[in-house]
Amino acid sequence: MSETLSETLAFHSSEMVASNEHASCIRCGLCLATCPVYRVTLRETDTPRGKIALLHAVQEGRLDPGESFASRFYDCLLCGACANVCPSGVELEEILQAARDDLSQHKLQPEALARLGRTIWEHHNISGEDNAHRLIWTENMPAPPLGAEPKETADVAYFVGCVGSFFPRSYRLPQTMAQLLDKSGADYALLGGEEWCCGYPLLINGQVDEAGELIQHNLAKVQEMGATKVVFTCPSCLHIWHRVYTKVAGGSLPFELLHATEYLAELVEEGKLEFEPQRAQRVTYHDPCDLGRKEGIFEAPRRVLEAIPGIELVEMVDNRADSHCCGGGGNLETFDPDLSHAVSDRRLGQAQEIEAQVIASACQQCERTLTEAARRNRVRIRVMDVAELALRALKE
Amino acid sequence: MLSEQILADLKQITGEEHVLTSPEDLICYSYDGTFHDSLPEAVINPGTTEEVSAILALCNRKGVPVIARGMASGLAAATVPVDGGLVLNLVRMNRILELDRANMMVTVEAGIITADLQAHVEKLGLFYPPDPSSIKHSTIGGNIACNAGGPRCLKYGITGDYVMGLEVVLADGRVFRTGGKAIKNVTGYDLTSLFVGSEGTLGIITQATLRLIALPEAKRTARAVFPHLDDASKAVNEILWGGVVPATLELMDETAINAVEDYLHLGLPREAEAMLVIETDGDQSDATRDMEVIANICRNGGASEFRVAENQEQSDELWRARRSISGSLGRKRPNKLGEDISVPRSAIPDTIKGIKEISRQRDLPIVIFGHAGDGNLHPNILFDKNDEEEWERVQAAIGDLFALSVSVGGTLSGEHGVGTLKKPYLESDLGPIAIDVMRSIRQALDPKGILNPGKIFDMVDNADNQ
Repeated sequence: MSETLSETLAFHSSEMVASNEHASCIRCGLCLATCPVYRVTLRETDTPRGKIALLHAVQEGRLDPGESFASRFYDCLLCGACANVCPSGVELEEILQAARDDLSQHKLQPEALARLGRTIWEHHNISGEDNAHRLIWTENMPAPPLGAEPKETADVAYFVGCVGSFFPRSYRLPQTMAQLLDKSGADYALLGGEEWCCGYPLLINGQVDEAGELIQHNLAKVQEMGATKVVFTCPSCLHIWHRVYTKVAGGSLPFELLHATEYLAELVEEGKLEFEPQRAQRVTYHDPCDLGRKEGIFEAPRRVLEAIPGIELVEMVDNRADSHCCGGGGNLETFDPDLSHAVSDRRLGQAQEIEAQVIASACQQCERTLTEAARRNRVRIRVMDVAELALRALKE
Repeated sequence: MLSEQILADLKQITGEEHVLTSPEDLICYSYDGTFHDSLPEAVINPGTTEEVSAILALCNRKGVPVIARGMASGLAAATVPVDGGLVLNLVRMNRILELDRANMMVTVEAGIITADLQAHVEKLGLFYPPDPSSIKHSTIGGNIACNAGGPRCLKYGITGDYVMGLEVVLADGRVFRTGGKAIKNVTGYDLTSLFVGSEGTLGIITQATLRLIALPEAKRTARAVFPHLDDASKAVNEILWGGVVPATLELMDETAINAVEDYLHLGLPREAEAMLVIETDGDQSDATRDMEVIANICRNGGASEFRVAENQEQSDELWRARRSISGSLGRKRPNKLGEDISVPRSAIPDTIKGIKEISRQRDLPIVIFGHAGDGNLHPNILFDKNDEEEWERVQAAIGDLFALSVSVGGTLSGEHGVGTLKKPYLESDLGPIAIDVMRSIRQALDPKGILNPGKIFDMVDNADNQ
């Protein structure tokens, strides 16, 4: 064999692990307790500690990074639970992300991801449909939302995201959000075919340059609209806008980024949305990883729920910064659906433990995976978005 | 040593997917919670006692070393496969087999995570008190094999105090049970105690029956800040003299306070020489009254501050500070070596002074914290393994620490065990006859020397070679 891959191309992630510039893993094992994947598979190779050990081995030339090595990094939800508990402050999110970047550079990424990358590159969305059909979800609504009307400028841009736009099972979320915006009297607009994929799937798979064009496009369109606020129902879009778009724009954005639940909480507190008493029900709130742990938004969705009379808000054992991934993170479902399902089942179990009747969340991905978990396990728990509960309770 | 034939036979026992041999797997099962590592030849994940028995019978016939392992949070390199061989990973065996409410006992498989066991029994108003800092990332089997302690052992005792009986697989594959549910039991040798703390060298613990107590109704947590270390130490004695037994009495010295404060920014008193984290428990009135007694003793004994947590969040925060010390040290230097010398309580001030002297002499940062109530101290040496000259000073400092502990009437290890790390110092503590007795026991139970070889002590006396 000629030279190994590690000799031809650098592994930045393994350099991060070995460098004294970065906090080092002392192998305490605390991340094993919170890693949802380890808790299901019980494999040390799936733990953050194990992955760091593998990167160390690559750095020291003891391990040749091939497919078997690569596959370990895709058995990961990128949920950030490990970084949240790491007492040594190892930059786990950055390292695990850098590892995926490296694997993409080394052409060691799974084919499904490479395919997804090409789809986004060609169609500007993750589904491969004509991007001009971004507003297809508005078609079976009782009345077209006001935000779909063509307008030059608007105070609020509602960035729907690919999943809500193109996956029929998730249409309900943008439909609900649009109705709430209509009722609140907000001056908002949808971007329609000018909304492109936010770039998240490319960024988490190391296709940074490809993502750049999408980012520039979206930034330009929102700026043209003169919006002071961009509202997201998808936490992942929000997270990428916040973390990457801000950087691309030179450190600050000329508008505010808000998750839908933050905007709804604002509207409720300003009296623009009012609720009627509802049938008593026990509702637990599932913190999406990208919204909670990564964006620090824990209270806004809870404030909306608590404002609805009749809802008793109860907490699962893992909540807020310690939230347990729904199983839908990191594209895991694409590579290992059984593993992803097992993670979802565990989270569903936590809701059952506290006898919740409804799992409320604020992410279409969490809602889809948890709905499927409830169906698969024949558990009578409804999974709904905070916005849906708000719309149902709205005073006419 | 592990031939293709043996691997094929192992796969027959557990199924192919539970025998791991890829380079990635071997790397991930080469370490524990220390900086030591050494590659195994294979890893096996048995699901039942029968499988463990068949694995051991095979390995015993073929002379394959077997290293039992749980979540590998150990701090003595006791589960590092120093001689290669087969890592016996017991985490799949994680069921609760029986919860006997009438006798207040629980029987579990070895691989259950201790915190999961604790949460399970607490739902029923029962309590499993041992609480090693690794409670969320260690298994009951590992806790028993190392006889783990924890902050609460001042009042409640250590892991071994709760083990009523064990299911053990011997080196040759025979399976038997020690002890049982009878509280008083002097029938024959106390084999349960023999296996507790045996670090996987005498047999493989596959199940345990544990004693539980009623869950205390209430807790109070407080921090006491002492400008002078001596005062903190005296206060600890005064508290116990005062007839109060707090659930925990944890000491952080200024180095530990500062390490945690750098990490968590909780507003800890950086300039204080010592801080005690104190918890009382019992019924509401006991917990409150005990804390008042302790508060008075501390305030009259030189504490500059005594603050009782007002709610669960504040209490959690204090415990987070205490439990984060060890991990927070990774932010200071690339490597750390945490010892767990255990000294008579009265010797704590002199021991801490001695440790600081060692730190100065060897020019190494040493962070000190530990269980002040029971004299179990955790000096953690911070260093960079890649710096060879520094590593030599670290080794010298370890020798100094152990000599210090023994000189004040203490011992090498309070709760981590001996493993690989403390092996060279064992005789200085125990003397040759004790080690000879241990060798005889080990020889009788594991004549071929397959169980965790090279740990605690060598089977051949190496004194001549030293």
